[in-house]
Amino acid sequence: MQNEVELTPEAAVRAVMRDILGLSEEQVAEFTAETELFGALPELDSMAVAGLLTELEDRLDIMIEDDEVDGELFETFGNLVAFAEMKVTE
Amino acid sequence: MTLHPAFVSYEFANRKEFCLSIAAQSSRRVMLVPPLFDEMNRMRKMLVDVMRSLEALGVGSFLPDLPGTNESPIPLEQVVLSDWQKAIKACAEQYQIRHIASFRGGVLAVASMKAAEHWMFTPVRGATILRTMLRTKVAADREAGLTTSLAELTTRAEAGPLELAGNIIGSELFAQLNGAEIPDLEHQRIVRLQSDNKPTDGQITGSALWLRAEPDDDLEMSSAIAQDIANWIGQ
Repeated sequence: MQNEVELTPEAAVRAVMRDILGLSEEQVAEFTAETELFGALPELDSMAVAGLLTELEDRLDIMIEDDEVDGELFETFGNLVAFAEMKVTE
Repeated sequence: MTLHPAFVSYEFANRKEFCLSIAAQSSRRVMLVPPLFDEMNRMRKMLVDVMRSLEALGVGSFLPDLPGTNESPIPLEQVVLSDWQKAIKACAEQYQIRHIASFRGGVLAVASMKAAEHWMFTPVRGATILRTMLRTKVAADREAGLTTSLAELTTRAEAGPLELAGNIIGSELFAQLNGAEIPDLEHQRIVRLQSDNKPTDGQITGSALWLRAEPDDDLEMSSAIAQDIANWIGQ
Protein backbone atom coordinates (compact mmCIF):
# COMPACT_ATOMS: atom_id res chain seq x y z
CA MET A 1 0.00 0.00 0.00
CA GLN A 2 1.22 3.50 -0.87
CA ASN A 3 1.51 5.70 2.22
CA GLU A 4 -0.06 9.08 2.92
CA VAL A 5 1.65 12.01 1.19
CA GLU A 6 1.92 15.38 2.98
CA LEU A 7 0.06 18.17 1.17
CA THR A 8 0.81 21.88 1.50
CA PRO A 9 -2.30 23.93 2.33
CA GLU A 10 -2.04 25.72 -1.02
CA ALA A 11 -1.80 22.44 -2.93
CA ALA A 12 -4.83 21.11 -1.05
CA VAL A 13 -6.94 24.21 -1.80
CA ARG A 14 -5.90 24.07 -5.47
CA ALA A 15 -6.76 20.36 -5.71
CA VAL A 16 -10.18 20.82 -4.09
CA MET A 17 -11.02 23.83 -6.30
CA ARG A 18 -10.04 21.76 -9.32
CA ASP A 19 -12.34 18.91 -8.28
CA ILE A 20 -15.29 21.14 -7.42
CA LEU A 21 -15.12 23.25 -10.57
CA GLY A 22 -14.11 20.38 -12.87
CA LEU A 23 -11.06 22.26 -14.14
CA SER A 24 -7.85 20.94 -15.66
CA GLU A 25 -4.57 21.07 -13.77
CA GLU A 26 -3.39 23.85 -16.11
CA GLN A 27 -6.51 25.96 -15.51
CA VAL A 28 -6.28 25.73 -11.74
CA ALA A 29 -2.52 26.39 -11.85
CA GLU A 30 -3.41 29.85 -13.19
CA PHE A 31 -5.25 30.78 -9.98
CA THR A 32 -3.40 33.54 -8.13
CA ALA A 33 -4.00 35.10 -4.72
CA GLU A 34 -6.22 37.72 -6.44
CA THR A 35 -8.41 35.24 -8.34
CA GLU A 36 -12.01 35.95 -7.34
CA LEU A 37 -14.08 32.97 -6.17
CA PHE A 38 -17.57 33.33 -4.64
CA GLY A 39 -19.73 35.41 -6.99
CA ALA A 40 -17.26 35.11 -9.86
CA LEU A 41 -17.61 31.34 -10.25
CA PRO A 42 -21.27 30.26 -10.59
CA GLU A 43 -20.42 26.61 -9.77
CA LEU A 44 -19.30 27.71 -6.33
CA ASP A 45 -22.73 27.78 -4.71
CA SER A 46 -23.45 27.19 -1.02
CA MET A 47 -23.62 23.43 -1.51
CA ALA A 48 -20.22 23.42 -3.23
CA VAL A 49 -18.81 25.56 -0.42
CA ALA A 50 -20.08 22.99 2.12
CA GLY A 51 -18.27 20.22 0.21
CA LEU A 52 -15.16 22.35 -0.12
CA LEU A 53 -14.88 22.93 3.64
CA THR A 54 -15.33 19.25 4.45
CA GLU A 55 -12.78 18.21 1.81
CA LEU A 56 -10.24 20.67 3.19
CA GLU A 57 -10.82 19.29 6.69
CA ASP A 58 -10.31 15.79 5.39
CA ARG A 59 -7.23 16.45 3.26
CA LEU A 60 -5.43 18.72 5.76
CA ASP A 61 -6.64 16.96 8.90
CA ILE A 62 -8.11 20.15 10.40
CA MET A 63 -11.50 21.12 11.88
CA ILE A 64 -13.26 24.26 10.65
CA GLU A 65 -15.83 25.81 13.02
CA ASP A 66 -19.01 27.60 11.92
CA ASP A 67 -17.89 30.98 13.19
CA GLU A 68 -14.65 30.85 11.20
CA VAL A 69 -16.58 30.81 7.92
CA ASP A 70 -17.71 34.12 6.46
CA GLY A 71 -18.14 35.66 3.03
CA GLU A 72 -14.68 37.17 3.07
CA LEU A 73 -13.09 33.72 3.24
CA PHE A 74 -14.35 32.89 -0.25
CA GLU A 75 -13.72 36.27 -1.84
CA THR A 76 -10.39 35.30 -3.32
CA PHE A 77 -8.19 32.26 -3.75
CA GLY A 78 -5.54 34.02 -1.63
CA ASN A 79 -7.94 34.41 1.31
CA LEU A 80 -8.78 30.71 1.23
CA VAL A 81 -5.12 29.65 1.05
CA ALA A 82 -4.20 32.00 3.92
CA PHE A 83 -7.03 30.53 6.01
CA ALA A 84 -5.89 26.95 5.28
CA GLU A 85 -2.29 27.88 6.18
CA MET A 86 -3.46 29.43 9.44
CA LYS A 87 -5.52 26.31 10.32
CA VAL A 88 -2.72 23.79 9.82
CA THR A 89 -0.42 25.69 12.18
CA GLU A 90 -3.08 25.90 14.92
CA MET B 1 -24.42 -9.02 -29.04
CA THR B 2 -24.58 -5.85 -27.02
CA LEU B 3 -26.47 -6.20 -23.80
CA HIS B 4 -28.42 -3.30 -22.43
CA PRO B 5 -28.85 -2.33 -18.79
CA ALA B 6 -31.94 -4.02 -17.36
CA PHE B 7 -33.82 -3.62 -14.12
CA VAL B 8 -34.04 -6.73 -12.00
CA SER B 9 -35.11 -6.81 -8.39
CA TYR B 10 -33.83 -8.33 -5.21
CA GLU B 11 -35.78 -9.51 -2.20
CA PHE B 12 -35.22 -7.76 1.06
CA ALA B 13 -37.49 -7.60 4.12
CA ASN B 14 -40.40 -9.05 2.11
CA ARG B 15 -40.09 -6.28 -0.44
CA LYS B 16 -38.64 -6.06 -3.89
CA GLU B 17 -35.93 -3.44 -4.30
CA PHE B 18 -34.71 -2.38 -7.73
CA CYS B 19 -31.31 -3.30 -9.04
CA LEU B 20 -29.83 -2.24 -12.37
CA SER B 21 -27.90 -5.01 -14.08
CA ILE B 22 -25.83 -5.63 -17.19
CA ALA B 23 -24.84 -9.11 -18.35
CA ALA B 24 -26.31 -10.68 -15.22
CA GLN B 25 -25.59 -14.19 -16.55
CA SER B 26 -21.85 -13.62 -16.89
CA SER B 27 -19.69 -15.99 -14.82
CA ARG B 28 -17.55 -13.02 -13.64
CA ARG B 29 -19.76 -10.51 -11.91
CA VAL B 30 -19.51 -7.69 -9.45
CA MET B 31 -21.91 -5.62 -7.38
CA LEU B 32 -21.44 -1.87 -7.36
CA VAL B 33 -22.58 -0.30 -4.08
CA PRO B 34 -23.44 3.34 -4.76
CA PRO B 35 -22.38 6.38 -2.70
CA LEU B 36 -24.92 7.89 -0.31
CA PHE B 37 -27.42 10.74 -0.72
CA ASP B 38 -26.44 13.52 -3.14
CA GLU B 39 -23.16 11.86 -4.01
CA MET B 40 -25.12 8.96 -5.45
CA ASN B 41 -27.01 11.25 -7.82
CA ARG B 42 -23.86 13.01 -8.91
CA MET B 43 -22.08 9.73 -9.61
CA ARG B 44 -24.86 7.56 -11.02
CA LYS B 45 -24.09 8.23 -14.69
CA MET B 46 -20.42 7.51 -13.96
CA LEU B 47 -21.35 4.21 -12.28
CA VAL B 48 -23.54 3.12 -15.19
CA ASP B 49 -20.65 3.95 -17.54
CA VAL B 50 -18.47 1.68 -15.37
CA MET B 51 -21.07 -1.08 -15.85
CA ARG B 52 -20.99 -0.62 -19.63
CA SER B 53 -17.19 -0.74 -19.64
CA LEU B 54 -17.23 -3.84 -17.43
CA GLU B 55 -19.51 -5.56 -19.89
CA ALA B 56 -16.98 -4.90 -22.67
CA LEU B 57 -14.37 -6.58 -20.44
CA GLY B 58 -16.58 -9.63 -19.93
CA VAL B 59 -17.75 -8.77 -16.42
CA GLY B 60 -21.43 -8.63 -15.49
CA SER B 61 -22.52 -6.08 -12.91
CA PHE B 62 -25.32 -5.16 -10.54
CA LEU B 63 -26.13 -1.73 -9.09
CA PRO B 64 -28.74 -2.14 -6.34
CA ASP B 65 -30.86 0.66 -4.90
CA LEU B 66 -30.24 1.02 -1.19
CA PRO B 67 -33.56 0.81 0.73
CA GLY B 68 -35.04 4.28 1.09
CA THR B 69 -33.19 5.66 -1.95
CA ASN B 70 -34.02 5.94 -5.67
CA GLU B 71 -37.11 3.84 -6.48
CA SER B 72 -37.23 2.05 -3.13
CA PRO B 73 -40.77 1.35 -1.86
CA ILE B 74 -39.94 2.53 1.66
CA PRO B 75 -39.20 6.08 2.81
CA LEU B 76 -35.63 6.92 3.83
CA GLU B 77 -36.91 8.16 7.18
CA GLN B 78 -37.62 4.54 8.23
CA VAL B 79 -34.21 3.20 7.22
CA VAL B 80 -31.31 2.39 9.55
CA LEU B 81 -27.72 1.58 8.58
CA SER B 82 -28.11 -2.15 9.20
CA ASP B 83 -30.97 -2.20 6.63
CA TRP B 84 -28.47 -1.10 3.99
CA GLN B 85 -25.97 -3.70 5.15
CA LYS B 86 -28.55 -6.51 5.17
CA ALA B 87 -30.00 -5.43 1.83
CA ILE B 88 -26.62 -5.48 0.09
CA LYS B 89 -25.93 -8.89 1.58
CA ALA B 90 -29.32 -10.18 0.44
CA CYS B 91 -28.74 -8.91 -3.09
CA ALA B 92 -25.27 -10.51 -3.21
CA GLU B 93 -26.66 -13.83 -2.00
CA GLN B 94 -29.59 -13.80 -4.41
CA TYR B 95 -27.34 -13.23 -7.43
CA GLN B 96 -24.36 -15.18 -6.03
CA ILE B 97 -21.96 -12.27 -6.21
CA ARG B 98 -18.66 -12.62 -4.33
CA HIS B 99 -16.98 -9.42 -5.54
CA ILE B 100 -18.25 -6.14 -4.09
CA ALA B 101 -17.08 -2.73 -5.34
CA SER B 102 -18.28 0.07 -3.09
CA PHE B 103 -17.96 3.77 -3.76
CA ARG B 104 -17.49 6.59 -1.21
CA GLY B 105 -20.10 6.19 1.58
CA GLY B 106 -21.25 2.92 0.00
CA VAL B 107 -18.39 1.28 1.91
CA LEU B 108 -20.43 1.71 5.10
CA ALA B 109 -23.06 -0.64 3.67
CA VAL B 110 -20.60 -3.52 3.11
CA ALA B 111 -18.99 -3.56 6.56
CA SER B 112 -20.71 -6.78 7.65
CA MET B 113 -19.70 -8.84 4.60
CA LYS B 114 -16.49 -10.19 6.05
CA ALA B 115 -16.09 -13.14 3.67
CA ALA B 116 -16.57 -11.23 0.42
CA GLU B 117 -13.86 -9.74 -1.79
CA HIS B 118 -13.96 -5.95 -1.49
CA TRP B 119 -12.87 -3.17 -3.83
CA MET B 120 -13.37 0.35 -2.46
CA PHE B 121 -13.23 3.68 -4.24
CA THR B 122 -12.30 6.74 -2.14
CA PRO B 123 -13.93 5.40 1.04
CA VAL B 124 -15.33 8.00 3.41
CA ARG B 125 -16.47 8.03 7.04
CA GLY B 126 -20.15 8.60 7.77
CA ALA B 127 -19.41 11.71 9.84
CA THR B 128 -17.71 13.36 6.85
CA ILE B 129 -20.77 12.88 4.66
CA LEU B 130 -23.08 14.22 7.36
CA ARG B 131 -20.84 17.23 7.98
CA THR B 132 -21.19 18.42 4.39
CA MET B 133 -24.96 17.91 4.53
CA LEU B 134 -25.22 19.78 7.85
CA ARG B 135 -23.18 22.65 6.40
CA THR B 136 -25.50 22.83 3.41
CA LYS B 137 -28.44 23.12 5.79
CA VAL B 138 -26.72 25.84 7.84
CA ALA B 139 -26.18 27.78 4.58
CA ALA B 140 -29.78 27.25 3.42
CA ASP B 141 -31.09 28.32 6.82
CA ARG B 142 -28.93 31.43 6.70
CA GLU B 143 -30.42 32.36 3.31
CA ALA B 144 -33.86 31.95 4.90
CA GLY B 145 -32.86 34.32 7.71
CA LEU B 146 -32.33 31.62 10.36
CA THR B 147 -29.17 31.19 12.37
CA THR B 148 -28.29 27.56 13.03
CA SER B 149 -25.01 25.79 13.74
CA LEU B 150 -23.52 22.36 13.10
CA ALA B 151 -23.72 21.55 16.81
CA GLU B 152 -27.36 22.64 17.12
CA LEU B 153 -28.42 20.66 14.03
CA THR B 154 -26.56 17.60 15.31
CA THR B 155 -28.51 17.79 18.57
CA ARG B 156 -31.77 18.12 16.64
CA ALA B 157 -30.91 15.19 14.38
CA GLU B 158 -30.24 12.97 17.39
CA ALA B 159 -33.69 13.78 18.79
CA GLY B 160 -35.82 13.20 15.69
CA PRO B 161 -35.92 13.06 11.91
CA LEU B 162 -34.08 15.93 10.22
CA GLU B 163 -34.24 17.03 6.60
CA LEU B 164 -30.73 17.46 5.21
CA ALA B 165 -30.27 18.50 1.58
CA GLY B 166 -33.64 16.98 0.67
CA ASN B 167 -33.12 13.72 2.60
CA ILE B 168 -35.19 13.00 5.69
CA ILE B 169 -32.81 11.15 7.98
CA GLY B 170 -34.10 9.40 11.09
CA SER B 171 -32.28 9.88 14.38
CA GLU B 172 -31.05 6.27 14.49
CA LEU B 173 -29.54 6.41 10.99
CA PHE B 174 -27.98 9.79 11.79
CA ALA B 175 -26.31 8.46 14.95
CA GLN B 176 -25.13 5.28 13.19
CA LEU B 177 -23.68 7.20 10.25
CA ASN B 178 -22.04 9.69 12.57
CA GLY B 179 -20.14 6.84 14.23
CA ALA B 180 -19.52 4.75 11.09
CA GLU B 181 -15.83 4.36 10.30
CA ILE B 182 -14.37 3.04 7.04
CA PRO B 183 -14.45 -0.76 7.39
CA ASP B 184 -11.15 -2.60 7.60
CA LEU B 185 -11.86 -5.97 5.96
CA GLU B 186 -9.65 -8.93 5.35
CA HIS B 187 -9.86 -8.95 1.57
CA GLN B 188 -9.92 -5.39 0.36
CA ARG B 189 -8.33 -3.21 -2.29
CA ILE B 190 -8.61 0.57 -1.83
CA VAL B 191 -8.43 2.73 -4.94
CA ARG B 192 -8.23 6.52 -4.96
CA LEU B 193 -7.83 9.39 -7.38
CA GLN B 194 -4.32 10.42 -8.30
CA SER B 195 -4.92 13.80 -6.61
CA ASP B 196 -5.74 12.08 -3.30
CA ASN B 197 -2.99 12.07 -0.64
CA LYS B 198 -4.35 9.21 1.48
CA PRO B 199 -2.91 5.65 1.67
CA THR B 200 -4.02 3.58 -1.31
CA ASP B 201 -3.53 0.25 -3.13
CA GLY B 202 -4.09 1.82 -6.54
CA GLN B 203 -4.67 5.15 -8.24
CA ILE B 204 -7.01 6.28 -11.00
CA THR B 205 -6.72 9.44 -13.07
CA GLY B 206 -9.95 11.41 -12.90
CA SER B 207 -11.88 13.95 -10.92
CA ALA B 208 -13.98 13.94 -7.77
CA LEU B 209 -17.43 14.00 -9.41
CA TRP B 210 -19.05 13.85 -5.95
CA LEU B 211 -17.89 17.40 -5.27
CA ARG B 212 -19.46 18.92 -8.37
CA ALA B 213 -22.47 21.22 -8.21
CA GLU B 214 -24.21 19.12 -10.89
CA PRO B 215 -24.10 15.44 -11.91
CA ASP B 216 -21.40 14.88 -14.49
CA ASP B 217 -19.53 12.04 -16.13
CA ASP B 218 -15.92 11.19 -16.88
CA LEU B 219 -15.70 8.39 -19.43
CA GLU B 220 -11.96 8.00 -19.07
CA MET B 221 -12.28 7.58 -15.32
CA SER B 222 -15.19 5.11 -15.66
CA SER B 223 -13.19 3.05 -18.08
CA ALA B 224 -10.11 3.08 -15.81
CA ILE B 225 -12.27 2.01 -12.84
CA ALA B 226 -13.79 -0.83 -14.86
CA GLN B 227 -10.33 -1.97 -15.95
CA ASP B 228 -9.06 -1.96 -12.36
CA ILE B 229 -12.11 -3.91 -11.17
CA ALA B 230 -11.78 -6.47 -13.99
CA ASN B 231 -8.08 -7.01 -13.18
CA TRP B 232 -8.91 -7.34 -9.50
CA ILE B 233 -11.59 -9.99 -10.17
CA GLY B 234 -9.19 -11.90 -12.42
CA GLN B 235 -10.19 -14.70 -14.77
